[in-house]
Amino acid sequence: MLPDDQVNEIVVEVENVPAGVRSHPSPNPLFQERTLLKPSFSMVSSASDVDVLDPPLFSSGSDRKCNRLLRFSASLHESMSQTVHSPECTGADGPCASCETIQGQKLIASLIPMTSRDRIKTIRNQPRTMEEKRNLRKIVDKEKSKQSHRALEFNCCAQCLSSLSLGYRRAKSNVSELLNSVSLWQKTLKVIGGKFGTSVLSYFNFLRWLLKFNIFSFILNFSFITIPQFTVAEKNTLQFTGLELLTGAGYFRDTVLYYGYYTNSTIQHEHSGVAYNMQLAYIFTIGACLITCFFSLLFSMAKYFRNNFINPHIYSRGIAKLIFCWDFTVTHEKAVKLKQKNLSTEIRENLSEICQENARLTFHQQLTRFSAHVVAWVVSTGVAVACCVAVYYLAEYNSEFLKKHRDPWAVLLLPFVVSCINLVVPRFYSMFRLVERYEMPRHEVYTLLIRNIFLKMSIIGILCYYWLNIVALSGEEIIGMRFITSLGLQEFDIARNVLELIYAQTLVWIGIFFCPLLPFIQMITLFIMFYVKNISLMMNFQPPSKAWRASQMMTFFIFLLFFPSFTGVLCTLAITIWRLKPSADCGPFRGLPFFIHSIYSWIDTLSRRPGYLWVVWIYQNLIGSVHFFFILTLIVLIITYLYWQITEGRKIMIRLLHEQIINEGKDKMFLIDKLIKLQDAEKRANPSSLVLERREVEQQGSLHFGERQSTPDLRYRRSVQEDSTKA
Amino acid sequence: MGNKQSVFTPQQLEEFQDCTFFTRKEILRLFYRYQDLAPQLVPLDYTSCPQVKVPYELICGMPELKDNPFRQRIAQVFSEDGDGHMTLHNFLDMFSVMSEMAPRDLKAYYAFKIYDFNNDDYICAWDLEQTVSRLTRGELSAEEVSLVCERVLDEADGDHDGRLSLEDFQNMILRAPDFLSTFHIRI
Repeated sequence: MLPDDQVNEIVVEVENVPAGVRSHPSPNPLFQERTLLKPSFSMVSSASDVDVLDPPLFSSGSDRKCNRLLRFSASLHESMSQTVHSPECTGADGPCASCETIQGQKLIASLIPMTSRDRIKTIRNQPRTMEEKRNLRKIVDKEKSKQSHRALEFNCCAQCLSSLSLGYRRAKSNVSELLNSVSLWQKTLKVIGGKFGTSVLSYFNFLRWLLKFNIFSFILNFSFITIPQFTVAEKNTLQFTGLELLTGAGYFRDTVLYYGYYTNSTIQHEHSGVAYNMQLAYIFTIGACLITCFFSLLFSMAKYFRNNFINPHIYSRGIAKLIFCWDFTVTHEKAVKLKQKNLSTEIRENLSEICQENARLTFHQQLTRFSAHVVAWVVSTGVAVACCVAVYYLAEYNSEFLKKHRDPWAVLLLPFVVSCINLVVPRFYSMFRLVERYEMPRHEVYTLLIRNIFLKMSIIGILCYYWLNIVALSGEEIIGMRFITSLGLQEFDIARNVLELIYAQTLVWIGIFFCPLLPFIQMITLFIMFYVKNISLMMNFQPPSKAWRASQMMTFFIFLLFFPSFTGVLCTLAITIWRLKPSADCGPFRGLPFFIHSIYSWIDTLSRRPGYLWVVWIYQNLIGSVHFFFILTLIVLIITYLYWQITEGRKIMIRLLHEQIINEGKDKMFLIDKLIKLQDAEKRANPSSLVLERREVEQQGSLHFGERQSTPDLRYRRSVQEDSTKA
Repeated sequence: MGNKQSVFTPQQLEEFQDCTFFTRKEILRLFYRYQDLAPQLVPLDYTSCPQVKVPYELICGMPELKDNPFRQRIAQVFSEDGDGHMTLHNFLDMFSVMSEMAPRDLKAYYAFKIYDFNNDDYICAWDLEQTVSRLTRGELSAEEVSLVCERVLDEADGDHDGRLSLEDFQNMILRAPDFLSTFHIRI
């Protein structure tokens, strides 16, 4: 029997009301409760990055949709606390019209105080049709102008500011239009995306991104280093044979391609009287190049991480994601059919995995698998180490070999061997697949990638060590290696191709100090590679059969580019600049004991001039002192720790909220059951009485209004359930 | 960009720009794509806001949509009356939501509507069966399809009512970083 002293009605909607049937407008008490209860329920700060949704609040059946629309409003929480109870809330109109007005009023009330930029952003993000959005915009503009009429004292300022911001927005959109029209290969990428999907497209996007890097480096180097050099150019006496294009040696040795060509003097023109110190220009330009690369890598990596938050706790393998993440960018008929087939295979694999999961492996099977993994790792590491040792001894032997044989082709021996290793050993690694068994295909892919990276990075490491300690500075081998590596068309395996790109870019970065125009060569290579890969894709038409998580992959690739590759290069360069002796008879640093002495002597010169003492002070106390970097590192570590703790706290909150959602659902089912039982009992007892009006459930909040106010505890529902069973 | 075009008034263009994720140039380009679908039907002058609808068959003949397994649902969701015939506003809305600038929440909302075949604001088992059969085009048997639907409901149904609400769907999308880049139609 329903208790009579309940202040709030229980209104329950049976779930099988067909769609399109408009329920009755909600009675006023329910509205009042809703507007009163919402402020007490705002738990999450609106500034959080993680899109935590409000817990499902109560709503009547007719405005369930409108309630959802509400959630998209950015400053919902603020607006709720100052909600004006609209006089139009009579409930006598058609239900959706009335609720639209109410929700619309709330939305407008929240939009008016926003800045115009936020307002436009909020309107754009509303899931409404164009007409509704335009109406919203008109109404908000009218209200805003009404309000600004009242605020006379700020009229002039506000108008100025608003016209300024409007002008700024227009300018920004024009600039972005211009940039988009200049964007390279837009159409081709669209076709590729349509035919092969997002994952293959990510490879080409990565290539385009690397190309932008190289273009920027090239422009910087060319303008600040090469052009001044051209003004004091000397004649080239060597002969040109075709081999130079492949090796970069010979004729090219005496051109701007090589570090040795650059003058060490201070270029001075009699007319202008401006002195251009080549040594400083060289170091600073290369430094600026690398610093820009560093920051853009950092920011891209952060952006990808943030968009895809790789969180191993949240990210679970599941079949739901396969179903709901169909690639809408694929537009070619054959590609769609192929994708459908791949998806079916993947679903089948997933289903069988789940069935297998339930069958635990016996101890014997686990042992076999584990030992297979161990053997595979030992063999692959052994092979990698053997290759490194071979390369090292070959490099040592190479110098004697070059002295004996004056043949120009001899220079190619080392690059040729290294390239062969890079082509053959990864294929050998792929054969391990036959022996090793993985629980998830993703693990197999990652293992393969890690082994390949280890191999390539160790070979590059050995070569760097060899160059730094033994050989004088020459960029021939770098160029030679890269040209040969870029040959060799293979089937389109995304991981391997991306690794090639990363490998090539690492070589460019290593070589940039000794061959300032290396980015130019890399640019040309990337250009050619784009078209070559494109053509080979179109001819084979064999998109990769493995399912690639494109977004995760891009994050991983950029991280790879940053972490072993770029930081390794920075270390190598640092060692070069601080420890190596420049060659005595060529290059801009000839005659100095170390490269870094050019900076020392510059600081010395500056310290003698009174106007530039602040530069000297900065150098001595900030760059040259250890304390400063120590303090800086400490601050960075503290900030990182704080952010990490915030993330952990949010993870906990997400988990708790998730549990709460589940519990709310259980509450709902429990209450529906209870109500149906009570109504059956009543029907049996009194068959002629009026049936209670049926409405949507979700008002356990209204039942427990008192408790919620007094105990803001996430686990309140236990006490509530006990109460209701007593009733 | 100068005001040389005569299709829209500057005010209309400004409104479109504020209500979609497109720039002025893109909006004009989209208009010409729309106009190309039915040159006799669509006037070249929209300053008087004509009420013109391009029929569903022409919309679904567009190269971007022609082979998409969900083209029918997409057209229905974004069209004025749910029948697939789209006005220019619907057209702009559709490509704005499917563009790469749209935020995840907005896309999730419309993806939910697309996968909700019976328009009851919930993705029930029948909706899932429809989705899976369109995705796999007859490759899976009937038991496999129902097994898949069961698994999906197991994984994603947070409040255990046997169907997916918008919140369940959004929660699941949060765990799928690919969604943003795959729910995207390039035009």
